[in-house]
Amino acid sequence: MTTNNKVNSIVQSCRVILKMATPGSLPKSDILYYQMLSKYYTKLLKAKENGNFVAAHTVFFPAEILYAMDIVPMHTEMTTWLVALFLGEQAELLSAGAELGLAAEICSPHRGLAGAFLRGYLPRPDVMLWSNLICDNTAKSGELVMKLNNCPGYFVDHPFQHSKAEVSYLVNELKGMIRFLEEHSGHKMNWDKLAETVARSNQQLALTREINELRKLVPSPFPTQGFLKLLSADYLFPGQPEAIEYLTQLRDELKNNASENKTAGKTEKYRLMTLFLPPIYLMSYLDKLYQEYGAVSVVEPMFNSRAEAEFDPSQPLKSVAEKSYLIPESRVMYGPLTDEVVKYVVDSATDYKVNGALFWAFLGCRHACATIKIFKDALNAADIPMLAVDCDIVDPTINPREEIGEKLGQYFELLEGL
Amino acid sequence: MTVSTETSMINLPALEYFRSVNSTFPKNQEILDFKEKGKKVFGWLCTYVPEEVIIAAGALPVRITGYGRETDLADGNAYLYINNCSFSRSCLQRGLRGDYSFLDGVVGGSTCDGARRLFDAWRRYINTPFYQVLTVPRKTTDEAQALYLDQVISFKQNLEEFLGLQITETALLQAIEVCNETRDLLKKLYELRKRPEPPINGAQTLEVLTASFRMPKVNFNQKLKILLNELEHSKVVYNGRARLMVVGSVLDNPEFIKLIEETGGLVVTDELCTSTRYWSDPVIIQEGESAISAIARRYLTNFPCARMYPSEERFDRILALCRDFRVDGVLSQIIRYCVPYAHDFPLLNDKLKTAGIPVLDLDVEYGTSGSGQIRTRVQAFLEMMEAKK
Repeated sequence: MTTNNKVNSIVQSCRVILKMATPGSLPKSDILYYQMLSKYYTKLLKAKENGNFVAAHTVFFPAEILYAMDIVPMHTEMTTWLVALFLGEQAELLSAGAELGLAAEICSPHRGLAGAFLRGYLPRPDVMLWSNLICDNTAKSGELVMKLNNCPGYFVDHPFQHSKAEVSYLVNELKGMIRFLEEHSGHKMNWDKLAETVARSNQQLALTREINELRKLVPSPFPTQGFLKLLSADYLFPGQPEAIEYLTQLRDELKNNASENKTAGKTEKYRLMTLFLPPIYLMSYLDKLYQEYGAVSVVEPMFNSRAEAEFDPSQPLKSVAEKSYLIPESRVMYGPLTDEVVKYVVDSATDYKVNGALFWAFLGCRHACATIKIFKDALNAADIPMLAVDCDIVDPTINPREEIGEKLGQYFELLEGL
Repeated sequence: MTVSTETSMINLPALEYFRSVNSTFPKNQEILDFKEKGKKVFGWLCTYVPEEVIIAAGALPVRITGYGRETDLADGNAYLYINNCSFSRSCLQRGLRGDYSFLDGVVGGSTCDGARRLFDAWRRYINTPFYQVLTVPRKTTDEAQALYLDQVISFKQNLEEFLGLQITETALLQAIEVCNETRDLLKKLYELRKRPEPPINGAQTLEVLTASFRMPKVNFNQKLKILLNELEHSKVVYNGRARLMVVGSVLDNPEFIKLIEETGGLVVTDELCTSTRYWSDPVIIQEGESAISAIARRYLTNFPCARMYPSEERFDRILALCRDFRVDGVLSQIIRYCVPYAHDFPLLNDKLKTAGIPVLDLDVEYGTSGSGQIRTRVQAFLEMMEAKK
């Protein structure tokens, strides 16, 4: 493994974006967003120099615990792909993953993640943490990362269903991880700090719900790809003041836009439900395309529609465990696909007044794609036409963007005819 | 008589019987006879579902498998999309087309993404009266065992409610006895394969194994005892250019092993959920322990699937099998989109290479009998091993 740390590219890109922003060219929430990204990665870059302990972790991981223990987190998937996208080095990282012997059927974000560690693009963590939330790829990625970095690791076994016994098991798993972290970092768990984080998580949930309510308005004041920023805030700063500040600002801006009847795009002709993630390397292209057709994504039930919940700060670890069951990814993609889950997706279509649904059929994500037929049948029964678009969320070589654009264009024309 | 590794027409009536059980599955005579008596049949998905509980309820556990041959999976593709493993798509397609219409229930485990989604689609689109999916922890700690026991108890209770009966401790003990006898007999079959020239080849062994989960265990045990006796007295033995082990994804098509053996290799052991991982560990009741607790412990701590953590135990057991069966080379066959095994491959490959055991990795589709390309690659692998000798 070589040392070729490229995390700085994220910090530099954020700086450039912020520097180029003229007054009024970016909403204040966007400025806060890029400041948030920059802060997270600056801390990671300077961790060794500052004598901080770094824990790498996979997606949907309770980073709240790391913050409460004063440990610097490194979100492996997000960090890998921000680096790759800012530098345009997706192919390099995927080829490094292949070099390790990882088959092409393993999802590209995880092949690239291993490749990023092999190439030394990411800093060597002190420990690796991972869980099976959300799929076999997350469950299996940790051991290879441990080997590549010659570091210890801890696997959190996330039970499949949501029973009392399973929550207790998860709490016990988290306790085991805390003991592991205390042993390796020398840092003690600060339970008061974790309780404060849980209290802020309630605030974060409330803000997210308010934002979602605003997105129900016609026209929606929220931009199509804005939900990825909401996700990033929770991925990087769950229950942290940075996320609260960002979401508060965003909520206020949306309220203001709504009161002025401002739309997210130029016009709002089609309100869409987005299922799974669009190709993140195509964001600008898709934004342009959506604007051209007057399409706006107003709800993303696999990622951004939080269940009603109130966490108990006096039981912080149980609350962190419960949160992992409440996130939509867990309910819609990981857990059993019950009738209630299907109903929740269909009800979302009604609540958000959507005209159509787009399922981004990321071929690397087996368990998401296996729901296409089920959701399509359920949405069609509610007169919501759904289009599934084959894609890869990070690898631009799989489908030419023109092919994707053509499919979307035809779909919007179909909606026009309805 | 020493024969090449090619499956011959040697007269082994018990083996012929197992072949007929497989060739007529799912609606084979054994299952039809069982249903005829008014008894229930439950399909299970994945080796983490405890068969003993079903047997103790007086029902027949039958493993759900897909088409044991290459076939168009149009329905499977439509319902599970093309990027789920061909095993889950093939199983679902059989379900959708009514091949498993005789099932009274389906029981699965949260073992991998493909199995979970297969279960979701089955529940939604196929009308089977009883469903349960068990949460299967990925660890084997005391807490994990307690959680899994909780799941198995809930399965037992749901089954009792559905069937309107009580599954007694005595019935569970009897079921353990029957299943342990199956395991013991299969172990004896594998012991024969340790010989320098075994009386049974790899393809034939897989035919025995697949029959073991497609008929009542009591009947299977009787037939296997006959086969073991026939093999013990058989004058036919098999040898090959190299002693091979097959590892990786689910495999229940003997034709695939036959293709490998036609190239001159002899498959002497495996690490497959349809074979060694299915029978390897018996249920052992510790002092003062209930039968259900012993069953749950055995299923969770059995020879692990690639889904389990840590992977070391699986790797260590593979290496031990390589030593015990004097394996010259390992064939890793991974079904496309079978992520747990694909992720483990780089780590397992390193371990085996360090132990001086060459590895051939094959990307396959479930049900394949092997293509010309696979034949060529296996031949080249055998030649490479011979050149190194």
